[in-house]
Amino acid sequence: MSAITLHNVVKKYGAVQVVHGVDLDIAEGEFVVLLGPSGCGKTTTLRMVAGLEDVSGGTLSIGGQVVNDVAPKDRGVAMVFQNYALYPHMSVRQNMEFALRPMKLGKAEMDRRIAQTAGILGLDALLERRPAQLSGGQRQRVAMGRAMVRTPKVFLFDEPLSNLDAKLRTQVRWEIGKLHQRLGTTVLYVTHDQVEAMTLADKIVIMRDGHVEQVGTPEEVYAAPKSTFVATFIGSPSMNMIETRATGGRLVADGLSIPVPTRFGDRVKDGQEVTLGIRPIEIQRVAENAPGAMAARVEVTEYLGNEALLDLRVGSHDLMAEVPADQRAAPGETVHVRLNETALHLFDTRSGRSLAQ
Amino acid sequence: MNKLSTRQTILIYLALGVVLIVFLMPIYLIASSSLKPSPIMFQKPPAFLFAPTFEHYQDLFAMRPFGKFILNSLIVALGSTAFSLTIGSLAAYAISRIRHKRMNDVAFWILSMRMFPPIAVVVPYYIIFKTAGLLDTPLALIIVYSTANIPLTVWLMKGFFDEVPIALEEAAAVDGYGLLETFLRVTLPLAAPGLAVSAVFCFIFSWNEFLFALMLTGSEAQTATVAVMSFWSSDAVQWGRIMAGSFIILIPGVIFVLTCQRWLVRGLTMGSVK
Amino acid sequence: MAYIRKRNRRIFLIFLLPAILVLFLTTIYPMIYAGYLSFRSYDLAKLFVPRVFVGWANYREILSSSEFLHSLVVTFKLMAMTLSVQLVLGVGIALLVVQKLPGMPLARTLLMIPMMISPVIVGLVWLFLYFPELGYLNYFLSLAGIDAIPWISSTNWALWAIAIADIWQWTPFVMMGTAAALQSLSPEPYEAAMIDGNSRWDVFTRVTLPQLKPVLVSLMFLRAIDAFKIYDIIFVLTKGGPGDSTEVLSMFIYRQSFTFWRMGVGAAASFVSLVIIVVLITLFFKSLNRDQTA
Repeated sequence: MSAITLHNVVKKYGAVQVVHGVDLDIAEGEFVVLLGPSGCGKTTTLRMVAGLEDVSGGTLSIGGQVVNDVAPKDRGVAMVFQNYALYPHMSVRQNMEFALRPMKLGKAEMDRRIAQTAGILGLDALLERRPAQLSGGQRQRVAMGRAMVRTPKVFLFDEPLSNLDAKLRTQVRWEIGKLHQRLGTTVLYVTHDQVEAMTLADKIVIMRDGHVEQVGTPEEVYAAPKSTFVATFIGSPSMNMIETRATGGRLVADGLSIPVPTRFGDRVKDGQEVTLGIRPIEIQRVAENAPGAMAARVEVTEYLGNEALLDLRVGSHDLMAEVPADQRAAPGETVHVRLNETALHLFDTRSGRSLAQ
Repeated sequence: MNKLSTRQTILIYLALGVVLIVFLMPIYLIASSSLKPSPIMFQKPPAFLFAPTFEHYQDLFAMRPFGKFILNSLIVALGSTAFSLTIGSLAAYAISRIRHKRMNDVAFWILSMRMFPPIAVVVPYYIIFKTAGLLDTPLALIIVYSTANIPLTVWLMKGFFDEVPIALEEAAAVDGYGLLETFLRVTLPLAAPGLAVSAVFCFIFSWNEFLFALMLTGSEAQTATVAVMSFWSSDAVQWGRIMAGSFIILIPGVIFVLTCQRWLVRGLTMGSVK
Repeated sequence: MAYIRKRNRRIFLIFLLPAILVLFLTTIYPMIYAGYLSFRSYDLAKLFVPRVFVGWANYREILSSSEFLHSLVVTFKLMAMTLSVQLVLGVGIALLVVQKLPGMPLARTLLMIPMMISPVIVGLVWLFLYFPELGYLNYFLSLAGIDAIPWISSTNWALWAIAIADIWQWTPFVMMGTAAALQSLSPEPYEAAMIDGNSRWDVFTRVTLPQLKPVLVSLMFLRAIDAFKIYDIIFVLTKGGPGDSTEVLSMFIYRQSFTFWRMGVGAAASFVSLVIIVVLITLFFKSLNRDQTA
């Protein structure tokens, strides 16, 4: 049975539509990440699931029951807010108690749950403190604890790491992953950070302008992006994009001519405008006379330790290549590179959709 | 700001000294005159050292039921404060949370209710309360003072509610609380300082008010401000009693200033200066 | 993205309703009632004259009476006197008390006391000071070599006597608002001006005042609205006299209604005062909105 189902869910503010017919199926125990740039509708979608925003159209089900008109409190969800939303006038213990009280569990059971959650999250020593007396990372854990004590059917996370510094973010990210493995609860998690999405998700939902661009495992969205948007959004540094025209079985652009890989079959029509995508790591330095070698001028070199990023100029195109550090070249030098043909992504320029099967 | 030279510092303290003397002298006069024996009340130069007497205070409570008038003032002030806080903070919460362009108009309409000249509505009040048989009752004053206290509470509390993050209320909603419960358990406790400030302002305004108390009460519901004034209208001015009564009346206001002066700006300008 | 679902909006409106209802019943209804009275002859002194509809007669009477027009002039004269002195003194004192010197916070607090005192008490203590023959004010002035001033018994001085009491009570208001605004100003323009070598006066007029302007405008409007309503102090000090030298609009209404018992005429005058105050309030709100959008 699916934990959460969105069928053609729409959100409008007056005449402005911000979420356009989202379809999504989340299985029991799955960790699903809504990923996209700000304003893509991911947070609004999450808030509709939480019941904090009205659903303007379509159906939203949790645990098989349609909840469009169900109040947040009756949905059996728990949410971790971006700014944690801890009640400042209550201690950590009281924050958790406050979340438990509507469940009418009895004092002993409440205490047991709080102790258990505090144990898991390492909050035992902090239970009597107020939020103002906690560090950012501690507050974050209290926010998770407050959600966990309720043992909800679904956890909702709204950019939970965005207020932490880089080092803490990595640590808490790892903790969230571990927690999910341990509890096995369904999670819907919103972020704009692709690293969080790639490391945590069982399934990534990439959104843009209120539409779902692609749904897939982290491997799928990285290896087989369905659109230029997904291709450039996932991966760092982002994928190089070159606009070409298919001419006689080759993709031709200024200073560049590559045969259409056979796996695209006859989906590339002669004369079609095709965007060619290649990840920086798939551009290799080769000898001048190697097959497929292209001449490129090095504009900028960024040394990163293990590897180096080269800003290359090929014809009138800028390409970024990621090479082993010992292969880096000085700015102004001319080098020869080859695009790894098996890693080429082709997109129809006009629609932005992938031409892969 | 620029660093001050010693000369400038001395000049500033001198000017400040003059200002303080001018603004505090009348208050000192009330306090000292209330304790001065009548013969030296107007002695010149004024006596700074004298044997204080409590005869004026004794007279005050012996000659007229001044205790009762103070009790009336308290009943009216507390009644109006409780009523205004209840109604005002609910309205303020609604105004703070409903995002709609008309809400601004509603808020300004409520504020403008406080600004109308009381004298303009004294006649209608008089006739209405007379008809309703409410003349000379504390209830009449409680109602009338609330017209000033509700707008004040709405504006002050709106500012405090605006500062409570909505995410906290959303968290409570997801945790299983309804709107009223969320308001009472999360929002209101966090706006508690606002509630205290509003309460004090409502109390002081009602306690100090004179015009309506004069027009709408007689011997039964008379408040302390009207009673003090009545020592003046008789043929001999009883300065001792006036000063003793005045001193009692100004105590709550002075305590308020000394204890929560940091909220005064916000209250007196209705939140337009924070 | 406020948490306002449709259902909640209805509950919020229910929260709002009692306040609107109460204010309507206690303010709008009496105003409408005043409007109704203003078109009637409601003369309590003449018991047997029927209380009839008289059309615009009450309005014609007051608008053609020199007493009413005089009371308007006195009201605005008093407003001009108190506001101008409060503005200058208030800003001046604010500049003193925002200095970062020991004792200043205490001085700011003490200076706020007059505002919290009942206007009747203010009137009484100033009456004590002005009192003919006995009052201390003339004694203090005589120490400075100034002849006795007939504060409340002379038509020349009575309005000033009232103004001084009001100035004493409300200058702290301007001081307090200005000081709060001064303390929230960014220090950077001052540091820049210091480096550029501008004089103190230049800095004050070119840097400080323009930044204070919105706050000062708000404060002055609030004072003007209050000054228009002034009543208690006058009631205690002069009751409008001597002659009609201090008869402001409130006193005119009071006398018509409760001395001559001509409630209809009083109501008509009240309605005129409502119109004036509406204009003042509207101007005030407009200035607030302009600040917010600017």
